[in-house]
This record gives sequence, C-alpha cells and structure tokens, in this order.
Amino acid sequence: MPQVMVVARNFMDMVAALPAAKLDMLYDSAFICEAVLRSLPPLAKKYALQMLYVSAPVAAAAMEEWVLDEYAAKHRVAIDRLLQLRVFVEVRDRRKEVSYKMNQKFQGNMQKYLVDGGSLPREPIPSSVTARLPTLAELESFALEQWECFLLQLINSSQVERGTSFSSSMMRTFQRGLLSSRDGEAPRLTENGFQFLLMETNAQLWYIMREYISSAEERGVDPTELISFLLELSFHTLGEAYSLNTLTDVQRNAIRDLAELGLVKLQQGRKDSWFIPTKLATNLSASLSDSSSNKEGFVVVETNFRMYAYSTSRLHCEILRLFSRVEYQLPNLIVGSITKESLYGAFENGITAEQIISFLQQNAHPRVADKIPAVPENVTDQIRLWETDRNRVDMILSHLYEDFPSKDMFDQCCDYARDHGCLLWEDAKKMRLIVRVEFHSEMREFLRRLR
Amino acid sequence: MASSKLYSDEVSLAVVVVDTNPLFWATAALPFADFFAHLIHYVNSLLLLNHLNHVVVIAAGLSSCTYIFDSSDASASGAADVAATFAKASRKMDEFIAEDSRATSSNGSVADGNAASLLSGALSLALCYIQRVFRSGIRHPQPRILCLQGSPDGPEQYVAVMNSIFSAQRSMVPIDSCIVGTQDSAFLQQASYITGGVYLKPQELNGLFQYLAAVFATDLHSRTFLRLPKTLGVDFRASCFCHKKTIDMGYVCSVCLSIFCKYHKKCSTCGSEFNRVMPDLNSVPDQRQ
Repeated sequence: MPQVMVVARNFMDMVAALPAAKLDMLYDSAFICEAVLRSLPPLAKKYALQMLYVSAPVAAAAMEEWVLDEYAAKHRVAIDRLLQLRVFVEVRDRRKEVSYKMNQKFQGNMQKYLVDGGSLPREPIPSSVTARLPTLAELESFALEQWECFLLQLINSSQVERGTSFSSSMMRTFQRGLLSSRDGEAPRLTENGFQFLLMETNAQLWYIMREYISSAEERGVDPTELISFLLELSFHTLGEAYSLNTLTDVQRNAIRDLAELGLVKLQQGRKDSWFIPTKLATNLSASLSDSSSNKEGFVVVETNFRMYAYSTSRLHCEILRLFSRVEYQLPNLIVGSITKESLYGAFENGITAEQIISFLQQNAHPRVADKIPAVPENVTDQIRLWETDRNRVDMILSHLYEDFPSKDMFDQCCDYARDHGCLLWEDAKKMRLIVRVEFHSEMREFLRRLR
Repeated sequence: MASSKLYSDEVSLAVVVVDTNPLFWATAALPFADFFAHLIHYVNSLLLLNHLNHVVVIAAGLSSCTYIFDSSDASASGAADVAATFAKASRKMDEFIAEDSRATSSNGSVADGNAASLLSGALSLALCYIQRVFRSGIRHPQPRILCLQGSPDGPEQYVAVMNSIFSAQRSMVPIDSCIVGTQDSAFLQQASYITGGVYLKPQELNGLFQYLAAVFATDLHSRTFLRLPKTLGVDFRASCFCHKKTIDMGYVCSVCLSIFCKYHKKCSTCGSEFNRVMPDLNSVPDQRQ
C-alpha cells in the first residue's frame, strides 16, 4: 500500500519540519516519543534502541561499521531520518569529527517507558459517573457512519445529507484540495479528490489530518499543539470515557471537529461531558508505521468484467460508480461492469489504472482474496491497456520542409537529419520531411550551405 | 507461506525461551532477579518498536516448561496496565519455578548431578505456538525464537532437540541463542547455524540488555543489512542413541542414520540387522564424526 506510506511519512515530515525548539518541546510527552519512534524506518528504530542507554556521543564513522558495506545507503537514510526528527543530535568535536548523540528528552522518556511500560495520557472517568457507555460494536458503527457520511458528502456535496451536523466552516477545511468550487457552481471533486476516495481509510484519515493541521495557523491555532494532541489521542484506550475538563481550549475545539469525523464520540452527562475515542482515533499512530487493515473486502471481479460488490453501503456504491457502470442494486449486492466508457470517465477525472486495480485488490472479497491474483489478470491488463490507449498520441514540436528544388538535395537533407537522429518523417515522392524543432536552426544552416 | 500473508517484514513474532534451571542460577554470576529485569526491558522494547510486534515468553525448567507471558493477552486490555501485566508475568514465573522444583524432586531425575533444562520441550512449545499463529488469522508476523540459556546441554535430549531444530528450519524460523552461562552450548550453536540465527555468548553479563537490544531486537528484515556477530566455530558433535553420551566418533546405522557409541548387532531404532562383521573402531575411522 504505497499511498498510505507516502501519506504517513508526509505527516512525520510535517513533524520534522517544525522548528527545533518546538520539536524538543513535543518530546516532553512520552506518547509523541513513542509515536515518532514507531514511525521510523526499521533500521532507524534499531539504531535508536541501540543508543538508548548510551549517553556519550558515538562517532559517525563507528556507526557506519554497523552495516554491511553494500547497504551504506540504507544506513544514511536511517541516520538522516533520525537527525531530521532530532532523535539524534549531531555533535562536532574539536577535530571537526561528527558524532551523534541521542536527544536527551527522548532518551529519558524511552528509558522510562522500558522500565515502567506505557502509561495513559489521562485517567478515564470511572463507570460510576458515566451512566452507560456505548459498546465497542456501537462505537465502531458510529465511527464508520460518521466517516462514510463525510465521504458521501464529498461525492455529492450538492445534495446535503439529512441528519448530518457538519459545520460548513469545518467542512471547508476538510475539503481543501479535494473539492474545487467555482462561483455559482456546485463544488466538484478535484483530481486529488477522486484519488482520495480510492485510498484506504487510514490513508484518508491522515490526509485529512494533514490538511487540518496545516490549516491550523489560519484559524490562529498552534500546529504543534494540534500535532501533539492528535498523537496523544491515539494512545487513549478504545471505548473508555475521558472528561473534557482535562483538555485545554484548543484541544476542546479540536475534539469537536474530530467528533464530526467520527474519531471520538462526545457524550453529555448530568454534570460534565466526556469523549470516547473510537477505532479511527486509536489507529492513528498505529497506521504511521504499518497500514494493515484487516477489513473484509467485498468485491468480486469476474473474467467477463462483471463486478459483484456485497455491500449495503451507499458510499461503496458511489465509489464503484467512479470507474464502473452500476447495473443494478439488490439489498446487499451491487452489480456492475467495468467498461471502456466507465474507465474513460475515471481517467478523465484523474484516477489512474493502478489506483483502480489496487482498490479492487485491497477490497477483494475473502472468497477471492485467497486466489492469486485476486483480480483476474485479463481484467487488470485490459484496464492498463485502456489507460495507455489514451496516451497513444505523442506530441513533438517539429518543422516541415517541402518544395525541394531537386531530389538530390532532398536526399542530402534527409541523410543529414537522420544522422543526427532528428528526422521524424519523410515522404520521398512528394519530397517533404519533418525534423524536430531543436534541429531547425542547424537544418537551415545546412540548406544555406547546399545552395 | 504466501508472502501476502505476512505483514511488512519488520513486524516480528518473538518467542523467548528462558532457562530457569535453579541449579544454574544458584551459581550464576548474574542474579536471576537482575536477569529477569533485563528480560522485561527487552520484551518492552520489542513491543515499543512496533505495535504489531508480538512477544511470547516460555520458561524452561528442569522437568517442565510453560508459557509465562503472551503480549497478545496483554494488549487486549489496553496499554495501561503494562506494569500489572509484567507483575503478573513475574508472579507466574515464581509459581512456575516452585512448581518445577516440586516436579523435579518427586521424579528424582536430577540425581545424576548434570542437570540440564528442558530445552527440547521449550523449543517444541515455541514451534507449536508459531504454527498456531501461522494457521490462524489472515496475516501473521515474521516469527523467530530466542533462547536464553545458562545451564549445560543435556545429551539425553539430543534427538528431541535436533528434531525441533530441523522443524524450525523447515518452517523458516531462525533460532537465536544468547548464552548467559559460562560454557558454550553445542545444541544452540547447531540450532543457530542450521536455522540462520545468531549465536552469541556475551562477555559482560551486566550489560545484557545492551546485547539483547543491539543484536537480538533486530527484525529479520534489517538483519540482511547489518553486521551481526558471527559464530566462530560450531560444535557439531552428536550424542549416541544408546547411552546419550556426546561422542566424537561412533557407529552410524546405514539405514536410518542412528548414531551409536558401541557396535550393535541390530539397530535399536529401525531394526536393521548388521550381519557383516564390523572392523574395530580404532583401526578404520570411516564412521561419521
């Protein structure tokens, strides 16, 4: 799932891009240290662990000895990442030799983690106060419902769903980059928007969170605080209630927005109110390193290009409609077919063949997921072929030469152009030839000499 | 194993086999309590590296072995009570040690002084666990076994240990070994050699965690890039099937490859009869070493 990785990495890039002082401030929290450590590439993780109890700086040259010579590139990537995130700090001694030292706060927090194990960011409210908490299943369906609602709204933002409570300002933040709205027109999905719909839930979530954080400054909120809160949120226990009173104002505002997306569920008690993290929230930091959705797929694609989707969700239907022709719908089944026309529609919208194929593969029904390949090869090949069909015409800027006075001169010109690899086309009968645009001046020079 | 069933290759399932032999720990340079603290550190650090990492600890006593800790039980109740989980693990460890010593004294098998831990049993438990993970669920992490052994090898377990090693090799599970005792273990040298694991005998036992973190916490994916300690020599000696002694030279059944230290008329394993008269062992050294 390459897309997910890209998105997740990008999030950590955002963390890495923070000024050093702010980053050091983030490392006051053990949760952020943990989330950062987990987001590192495997080799970097190992280095961090190895340096955990080393307080003196270690020479860079000595570290290079850790890896085999042919993998020095991997070593550099790992070290760069550690330096970017300020997990390692560069130290130069008098002889200008570089050595690395672990960030002290980070080291301290991780050492504490190893001794005491993880702890909770805040204590849950005892069940005596909260009358009845939703069960995990209820919570999950709530999260899914909110999330689907949000996605559906992206697809047909013109027809507003009944019963949704998205505030329009919030919606605008979340839709930045995904929707384009021209004045007087209903907003339309952009290329990014279409690609977004085919992503995996975790990837979508991170995309949205990135938008949310990068737009924070416009709303007068410090992005550092949001980042730390989001990472912290993912370490709360699923399904437990946490009091809103323990949050700062910024966090309280953020949690309202997150509730709309289904990351947390807000509940009101007699005296105080609390939030309950859902699976979407607790998976946030987990999905940074690995995106393993254990979701069951629902799509069966047959070799005759027919597609059966066992789903009741309107969202699924809308997503399938992006690249296939939905023929009929039964209560639990959507039947469609992948046609050239439907795919051309998708390509027009900026969706690529690879995205469609990976969507079909990732969401393959368990009955076909075991087979290799999960999607018939003739279908995937055809989807790719249809995509390349659109790229059949190559544009090359060029010049046309005609009206040559003699056959001899024409042949000389042809040979000259061919020798330089710039002859695109020739017609000996009518004595016409076409050369690349960059060769035009040389060609003119050559013709002048011939004359 | 279809590669699609694996998580990305850095996710690991580490099964740690811990030697709890009371006869060894009574005389060990490193007190058991300190050792256990290092172990908990190590387990914690594995769990820290990746939330999908899965750690199982198995204790191998003198006459029994059991599961002490399983991180999949722990994480179900949330990360909150890690401390409680480890307290439970250490309690379970104490219970096991008491139980094990009772079992040992009742069957009186340790009378011969050379008391080895039940490595074969613990390895089998580990492999069974790994097989169960393989067969359940859609995707599973990359498994490996780490043996923390202190007590000497028990030659009487030779066949069982070798069988475990070969089945680990078949299911592509590397066996890492870390020797916390004073003498090298021929069994584990062979195990690591055959399965492609790392064999290490730390010099400074007080820094055990550093060894564990630097060498044994490395996931299988990163191992291809790293310079890990290499084994200097492997003790390939076998134990004979008749008296369970470690031997340099002996007789091998030509049918089933059973090893004997003395000449027999009939193979005790497969029943083949050796009707040809064997020459004297010392004059013709054509037997397997």
